[in-house]
Amino acid sequence: MFDLILFFTSAILTVIGAILVVATKDIMHACVYLLVSFLGVSGLYLTLGADFVAAIQLVVYVGGVVILMVFAVMLTGGPHAQKQNKFGIVKTALMGNMRTYTVGGLIGALVLLMMVKLYLSLFKIYTPKELPEYLPTVERIGKALITDHVLAFEISSVLLLGALIGAAIIARPRKNRIN
Amino acid sequence: MSTSNLDIYMPILMLLLLGVLLVVVTVVFLSKVVRPHNPNPVKEQAYECGEDPVGSAWSLFNMRFYVTGLIFIIFDVETALMFPVVVVFKSMNEVGLGGLVLIELTIFVLILAAGLAYCWRKGDLDWVKSYQTGKDPSGRPRIEND
Amino acid sequence: MTDTIVSYLANFEPFKSFLAFLTESYGANGPTIFAFLIFLVAVIIVVGALATIGGLGTYAERKISADMQARMGPNRVGPYGILQFLADGVKMLMKEDIVPKDADRFLFFIAPMLALTGVFGTLAVVPFSSGLTLTDLNVGVIYLVGIGSLVGLAVFLGGYASNSKWSMIGGMRGASQIISYEVPVVLSILAVVLLSGTLSFGGITKAQGGWPHEWFIFHNPFTFLGFFILFIGSLAESNRAPFDLPEAESELVSGYHTEFTGMRFAFFALAEYIEVFVLCGIAAALYLGGFQVPFNLGGDTIWGQLLQLGAFFSKTLALYYLVIVIRWTLPRLRVDQLMSMCWKYLTPIALFNLIGVGLWMWLFDGKSLFTLLFKSGAAAAGIH
Repeated sequence: MFDLILFFTSAILTVIGAILVVATKDIMHACVYLLVSFLGVSGLYLTLGADFVAAIQLVVYVGGVVILMVFAVMLTGGPHAQKQNKFGIVKTALMGNMRTYTVGGLIGALVLLMMVKLYLSLFKIYTPKELPEYLPTVERIGKALITDHVLAFEISSVLLLGALIGAAIIARPRKNRIN
Repeated sequence: MSTSNLDIYMPILMLLLLGVLLVVVTVVFLSKVVRPHNPNPVKEQAYECGEDPVGSAWSLFNMRFYVTGLIFIIFDVETALMFPVVVVFKSMNEVGLGGLVLIELTIFVLILAAGLAYCWRKGDLDWVKSYQTGKDPSGRPRIEND
Repeated sequence: MTDTIVSYLANFEPFKSFLAFLTESYGANGPTIFAFLIFLVAVIIVVGALATIGGLGTYAERKISADMQARMGPNRVGPYGILQFLADGVKMLMKEDIVPKDADRFLFFIAPMLALTGVFGTLAVVPFSSGLTLTDLNVGVIYLVGIGSLVGLAVFLGGYASNSKWSMIGGMRGASQIISYEVPVVLSILAVVLLSGTLSFGGITKAQGGWPHEWFIFHNPFTFLGFFILFIGSLAESNRAPFDLPEAESELVSGYHTEFTGMRFAFFALAEYIEVFVLCGIAAALYLGGFQVPFNLGGDTIWGQLLQLGAFFSKTLALYYLVIVIRWTLPRLRVDQLMSMCWKYLTPIALFNLIGVGLWMWLFDGKSLFTLLFKSGAAAAGIH
């Protein structure tokens, strides 16, 4: 019975959070709603028996990505920063003209098509079976990482190294910015 | 008897719910009954040592906070990948494969330590940046103004 | 399977028959209802106890600082002023709730809630004793790190929502400080995981023993260093002096909670004091043997559990005392010192430590320094 409660709580948190992210105008509020959505996703992983992935979702997304996002918002001068920069150029993207409607409509149609195609395959009558026993997943993931997928494990470290150096270089003050 | 399946996550949900409810009940309802409410314009100002606040606090912030966040998140993902490997190390060590796992782990850590060393050398870990002090930690000549 | 307070209590008579009765009445849902009732009572007891400890923490802080500065400290409410925290609570409840005009009202409400929720979330896995832990998750360590990081966001949002310069600077500092020190803390936790081969707090504690030489802190030189990295990192993560830059009374008025009044402020303060307790408990469980009692006295009986609670709380409160003494002893760091301490000292040392512990495990087959020195010495003496 609790699996249903956990599932519905997480699902509602995920969906409501995601809807509010796009519905709110304040970008800082959107970050908080995104946090709610991430918590819900973590709960969904739990209902699937993936306890390790759920915990990592908490550490990386709730603890890392959301904080990085609010820092990024503060780089733009906050959500209530002036809409024009010092040259009088409007910083926000153009909205509500013919071009944006066309591009948005095309992308929307594409996404809709993909969703329909995805969901049609799910509309099959199936009978819920007895859930398998939930087993701890960490040991199995660890065994897989050091035996079959050891190359992926090491290469991910190279990927992270690239990300670290790239982040450092992009964030470094450039020559012509100093005066 | 062991608690089965998902029931073990019950206290987590309860605690989170309790945290939310406690704040809502006390701040919105309980405290409202007993606390006074006499707002006035001066009281509602943000505190700025007695002066009228000048401008909004929501302003442009220094880049270094963002850089710290970026470096943190990379190390966060690194530890996330290391957790499962570290967990199986002991059982692997008991069957004689400890050296193998240790070598894999060491390569993984060394590659990231190289990244950290690079950032350190280039001065990205300095809170006060080299162009602010005039000193360049990498020993190269300072970037000239132009 | 995961050990929880439910699975422990189900071994005892009144609960056993109650479980049987529920299973009879509600069929397959019986164990779930049983777990729900027990968890509900346990959660309320734990939260109540920890809130009291948090409240007493404020009292202890004032009393100890008074002792160190040759003052009296609070001495009016109750014997030796021990009920001061209740009086403070009532006062907070009756204070006017001021929200600055320019503040973000929604986030102003969310921030203290997030701080309290994050700290309460960590309580689920704190290993009070082998049986009375709320739930001893398989991924307990990662869960604790993850849910605890909500506090960092709460500190930032608290500063942001106030729309005051002092708060904003405090909030930015706080968030970057908390996320930075998470790296060395997690790395030194990984060293312990390497030794014990499990991520559950109960498992890690059971891999140690009741005597000091069986604790992980004295297992080898690397873990000895690791404990101090963890402890320093915990101080910084809970914004305690000498790392109290987000609050820094002498420069930022009161940091991220400058604008908070009444109960909202009270929740921030409560969250901070409970977090300090939780972090001390974690340090005690990971490195100082946690709830382990010498000779495993009492075993699984209720008396054994009470002894284990005593062991856990005495270690944790000793660390708590140390945290308070440190606050009133050391001056505050500068921001650049804080950051270079984290990234240039603690993180490289913690990385080195992790590999060092792995090397020790591999070379000496997981034996502790004590075993190597004395047991092998005894064996050598036996051969002669």
